[in-house]
Formats: sequence, C-alpha cells, structure tokens
Amino acid sequence: MRMDSRAVVQAKLAEWNITPTEEDLAQLVPAYENLLVWQQVVEEMLESRPMSDGMEMPTTEPAAIHDLTRYR
Amino acid sequence: MTLNSRDLAYASIDDVSKLIERRELSPVEVIDNTLARIDELEDTINAYIHVFADEARAQAQAAEAEIKSGAYRGPLHGIPVCVKDIYESGPTTCGSKSLLGYEAPEDCPSVANLKVAGAIVVGKTETYEFAYGFPTNASHFKPTHNPWNLDHECGGSSSGTGGAVAAGMAYAGMGSCTGGSIRWPAFCTGIVGLKGTYGRVSRRGVFPLSWTLDHTGPLARTVTDAAHMLRGCAGYDPQDPASANVPVPDFTSKIGRDIKGMKIGLIKELYEDNCDPKVKKPYDEALKVLEGLGAELVEVPGLTVRQMQAIEWPTLFSEAASIHIRNQRGPRVKEYNPHTWQFLQYGLLVSAGYYHNAQRARAQVRDSFLKSLNEKVDVLMTPTVGFPVPPILDESPGLSIVAGDFTVYTAIFNQSGLPAMQVPCGFDDDGLPVGLQIAGKPFDEETVCQVGYAYEQEAGWIHKHPDM
Repeated sequence: MRMDSRAVVQAKLAEWNITPTEEDLAQLVPAYENLLVWQQVVEEMLESRPMSDGMEMPTTEPAAIHDLTRYR
Repeated sequence: MTLNSRDLAYASIDDVSKLIERRELSPVEVIDNTLARIDELEDTINAYIHVFADEARAQAQAAEAEIKSGAYRGPLHGIPVCVKDIYESGPTTCGSKSLLGYEAPEDCPSVANLKVAGAIVVGKTETYEFAYGFPTNASHFKPTHNPWNLDHECGGSSSGTGGAVAAGMAYAGMGSCTGGSIRWPAFCTGIVGLKGTYGRVSRRGVFPLSWTLDHTGPLARTVTDAAHMLRGCAGYDPQDPASANVPVPDFTSKIGRDIKGMKIGLIKELYEDNCDPKVKKPYDEALKVLEGLGAELVEVPGLTVRQMQAIEWPTLFSEAASIHIRNQRGPRVKEYNPHTWQFLQYGLLVSAGYYHNAQRARAQVRDSFLKSLNEKVDVLMTPTVGFPVPPILDESPGLSIVAGDFTVYTAIFNQSGLPAMQVPCGFDDDGLPVGLQIAGKPFDEETVCQVGYAYEQEAGWIHKHPDM
C-alpha cells in the first residue's frame, strides 16, 4: 500500500534533516506524484532478455560518464 | 576602418579577424566599440553581471602590439567575448546572491584556452541561478531582456551570453548546457549555439549542475564564428574526469562544402505532435530549404517528449541536489532564490532505483541515435524548442516546469552526449526568433557545422539583427 504523497515527501526529506514549508509542499507534492508517473515511463523503456518464468536479464547498463571515444 | 559602429558591432568574428590580421582594424578600436555598445545598451538588456573595461582595453593594446610584431594568433586574436558568470574567471556569482564577493583563484581551463587563442573577455554574463533557478523580476539578479522584444526573456540558463551576443555587445560568448542552456538561449535570441561532444570542452571550474549532462561551449552569431570559438575553448583536460583525450581539429574544415546527397534524420516522434505551429512553420520551411540544397530527409527512431523528460529531470535534479546539499546546510542558504531551494528538495525525492533506470534508458537512446548515424543518416535534426520565446515572468514557474510538457528538444543530446548546434531558421508570427537543431556523430562537429553553414548561407537569417 502506498503512503500518502505528502507524507512520503516529508519522510524522504526528513532523511536529509529537511522540513519543507507549506509553500514548498504545495510545489513538491504534485511534482513528486508526477515523478512516480515518469518512473513508470522509464521502467517501460528498459530493454532486457527473457530467462525463464518471468525472470529477465537487463541488456543495457546505466550511462554515467560517457566514453564516446569508443564510437568515433 | 570603414564600418560604422553598428555594422562593426554586428560583424562576424570571421570578417573582423581578417581585418585585424591585415592590420586594417585595431583590436583597440574593436574593444572601444564593444564597450561603447555595452554602455549604451546594458541598462536595457541587462546582459552583464561584471564588465572588465580597463582590463579589456589593456589586453586589446597588448594584442595590437603583438599583431604589429607579426605574432598573429588566429581568428580569436583581439576579439571581445563574454563568459557566463558560472565559469570561474575573476568575480564569479553563478547568478546567486549567495556567491556575491567570491573571486575565482584562477581562470578555468576553457576560459584560459580562449585567452591563449587571443580572445579578450570583456565581461561575465547573467545566468539562471546555478544554471537552473529561473530568474524573475523578483530575483536578486534580474532576467536578461531579449533584444528582439524587450518584454521577452532570452531563454536560459546562458541568458546573458545570448542577449549580449545577439545585441552586438560581444562577438561571441560561452554558455554551459545541461538540458539545452546553450541552444535554448541561442534559439531565443536568433543566434547560433554549439554544444560540442560530451568531453570536448573542459567542464572544470564551471559550477556543475549535473555532472553526467553538463557541457560547455559557445554561442555566436554565425556557424563559422561558433566553430572558431569551439576550437578556441576545446582541449583535453586530465583533471576533468569526462574530458576526452582527442585532437582538436579545425571545426571549419567542412564549411563551404555542399550537402547534396547528405541524409538528414528527422526525429519526428519527439516533436511532430507537440511543437507549437508558430515554431513548426518556419522549421518546415527550413526543411524545404535543405531539400533544395540536395539533402534527403529521412525519418529516424527517437523517443517521445515524455520519455525525454522522464530521463532528464530526475537525472538533472538528483545530481544537482547532490551538488548543492552541503551548501544548503551552510550560512548562505537563505540567499538562494526560494524556487531554487524547492528544485533542490525535489532532487532528493528521486530514488536510486529510478536514477539508475533513467541512466539505462539514456544509454539505449544514445545507442539508437548512434545506430541511425552509423547506418542511415549523416546528421539528426529537430526544431530546437517546441514553444515560442516566453515573456519575462514576475513569478517563478517553480516545479510546474517538471510537470507538463517542457518541449526543449535539446535535452536528448545532453543525454546522449552527441554534438548539437542550434541555427536560426526565421521568426514566428510575433517577430520572435525560431531555430532548428542539428546533431552529429561523436566528435564530428565538422559535419554539424557543414550542414548548419549550408543552411545559414542559403536562408540568409544571419544578416538580420535586432533594431538596436
């Protein structure tokens, strides 16, 4: 069961000892809810290959610092 | 010198440098004209945070003497340029009240490289706070006004550089770019913005926004001038972990070659359904010009705006949060603009799992573009941005920018690291600039410049300047 978005935002920021103001929360809560939508958008993009019984292996790795000299 | 003051201010680096090389024009005359232009227009445009008038004059005198002695350095020698105030070079505020009074201990490598090439830094320009806190009329540092319509902004975050170059208050300048902050302000001000390949120009000493997305590079009024600037600032920097140890070529080497038979890959999936008709119309006309030059237009796979944003924002904001969190615990936190502080909190909401998935999706997008470039087309193309130049706001849009479709199509080439250039392609119905974006293979900025130059010369927009 998912927690209330406002509570999640407050809890996540509490990990950093940050207490958002009401003004901050008015911006952060809808932005956080949109973030969850995007999280799903990205998850649906990810490429992998099937193994067995719903198990799969990722076929791509995160791009961090690009080594673009490989592609010249 | 036969040029009048305005003509000299709007002349290209390519033209001015030839006069300087032949000693028909002194760098001192060029600097004096630029400083007079800044004096005349700065109150209207608000492009600069710092102007180095005395230092620039002294450097121009030194350049004049050096050139007289026969030691001409190249096309940037004696040319006045500006630098976004996020680069460490003299006083550096990053557009934030929290850094008022800070003086950089030395020039960052990209600015040092420009100075070695002979460029004269005439001043430091306005920027969004730390390159992402949108300035408004309520901010400490006010927005830069667009020379084409003063009620409108210059885009960002390299807004001051865009405004200064478009208004003839510098011949070119440096911007930094995490999602489009070189190409978007160039779009808004009707000039050229060139983001080189990730690793082409050192990022060291440029305040980071997002390490994996940040690029540095020039804005200029012509493609050739942007190519000169890129050559001037580029180069391997062993102290920048992303810097590529590759030769710096003459980026003008393919300029002037025709583009007949070249294949241009249109990433229609990104823009076709969401681009404002005011922007789309001039862009579609530009495509016809390119076809008239003999290029073949081909549709290539891409990604949607939604996917682009779903990769861009969590990456940018979470890295920015990491960058700023300790400063946010410091004594000057209250001097950040309030919405910048909200952006930082937002970045802390991104989970590690999401961040890494975004980086995987990003690698896939990069590989898809590389496949198109290796197998199907010579360059990729989109409109630069999908909406007209915005008006200056009294209030920050805040986090609303990450909720809706923010159609700054430039971000896909920050994500992929490919070189990309904005070239003006006309004006919308309100007389505000519109532009197109060309991207190429890694470290092949020459082909990007070739296509950009061919279009620029045929279309002729480079001859149009703001009425000031």
